[in-house]
Formats: sequence, C-alpha cells, structure tokens
Amino acid sequence: MIPELTASAGAPRIAAIEHPFGVTLGRPGDAAGQRAVLRAALRAMEAMEAPGGVVHLPFEWPSTERLNFAPPVAPPIARYLVRHPWALPRFVNRRPPTSGS
Amino acid sequence: MILVAKTVDSYRFLDGIGRRVIKSWAGLPAQMPIPWTPLARPLSKCTVSLVSSAAIALKTDHPFDPEIERCDPWFADPSYRVLPRTARTGDIQVCHLHINPGFAEQDLNSILPVERLDELREQGEIGAVAPSHYSYMGYTLRPERLLRESVPGMVRQLREEHVDVVVLVPV
Repeated sequence: MIPELTASAGAPRIAAIEHPFGVTLGRPGDAAGQRAVLRAALRAMEAMEAPGGVVHLPFEWPSTERLNFAPPVAPPIARYLVRHPWALPRFVNRRPPTSGS
Repeated sequence: MILVAKTVDSYRFLDGIGRRVIKSWAGLPAQMPIPWTPLARPLSKCTVSLVSSAAIALKTDHPFDPEIERCDPWFADPSYRVLPRTARTGDIQVCHLHINPGFAEQDLNSILPVERLDELREQGEIGAVAPSHYSYMGYTLRPERLLRESVPGMVRQLREEHVDVVVLVPV
C-alpha cells in the first residue's frame, strides 16, 4: 500500500498494491479479485531473490470508486494534534514524547 | 478486474497532512538490517500464515483495548491475538482506530484473506495453510513493547506450526 514506508521498516520482500486503507486485498465480496491479489503477492514473494525487493502488483483501483475509507471517529492522535498543534513536528518526525509505556 | 503495468502511487489515498507525515516516516533510516531467509522449498510445498496489523480479535477473545491509545495517542495496545485458520467474518471484530472497519466486518478477506488462502491451497498453489494466523495493532509510535512482548510469542508459534511463509498484510 505504501511500499516506501514498508521498505523503510526493512521488510525483506514487498508486494505493493494501490488499494485504499481498509481493503488491502480488495472489495468485500470480490473473491476472485482478492484471490488474484493474494496469488500475485505470493508469486512475487517466491520470485524475489534478494532482500528488500519490491514488486508493484498490476491491479488498478478505479478512481470512480466512491467508498468511505475514513474511520468513524477521528483517531486519538488526530484529535490530540488539533488541541496541541505544536506537537505536529514530533509526529511528522516520528519522535514521540518519552513516557513510561 | 483491471490489470495494468504500474508503479504504485503510495500517496494516492492520503490527504495533505497524511502525505506529509508518511513521506517523512518513509524517509527515516531503517532501525536494523533487512532480515533474509531464502525460500527453502517451492511455494507449492510451503505452509503459509497471515499476519494482520488491523487489530483483529475473535469475538470470543479479549478485544484490543482502545483506551490505551485514547489515553496516550502516541501508543496503542501492544498485544496480539491468534486467529484460527477457521476464523470467518462473523467470528471477528476489528479494533483499529485509523481505518473504516466496515469493509472487513462485511468480508474479513478484504484485509485477512483466510478463505482465499484456503482456496489457493485447494488449487495446489501453496502446500498448506497454517493452523493459526495473527493480528496486532499496527499504529504505534512506540513499538518497543510490541516487539518485546508480542513478537516473540508469534514467532514461537509460527515455528511450532512449521510455517514457511508469513504474509504480513497492512491496512
């Protein structure tokens, strides 16, 4: 979905797909489409012979598809950053405040 | 199904601030070398398991705790759940606060293709489906407890079940 982000985490083999969040394999009920994506990802995995390989899967998500991919409620970090905008640089640079967690 | 020769646009489904954040995160250096295990046998002989970052739990199991993230928005529940290979849409709940869970609640296979994997086994494309799949909460800016407390348990069970291939499915 975001191969650059996955690559930065050091995933050994990446099959990239341009699908919206929450429907990684495809639309609910589209068994043929989901199976095709999974098959392609597994075959890509089998073909990669060196760490860090990225295969871009050839599936297109139609721009005319209008589905609501947003969470029902804004996630806590989004609401926190609205209240504490000075914390945005920490979030952008992935430097959370230290805590006991 | 539309197939094209393409380069995935990672940022297509992100808005302005989301793009800025993800581009920044993608540019950060990796914390460790890329792990690598060559495939020991053809895919058609491999046992495959699925791991989802969507915080999926069986309805009969303890759900992931959203209050952890509500109390500290930089962190989330670091636990994981085991999902039997027989788990189906009606058996699960999705506890991820950053996605619309409705699609998976209509069809689990949209994010965890349990039935699709079974079908590939029936077609001989993989050797076997592992007895267990796994899920954890993918959003956290403090992954230390997830790595320390949850990953070893998943790895141990994957080894016990002789899994050859893990498909990590993001949401």
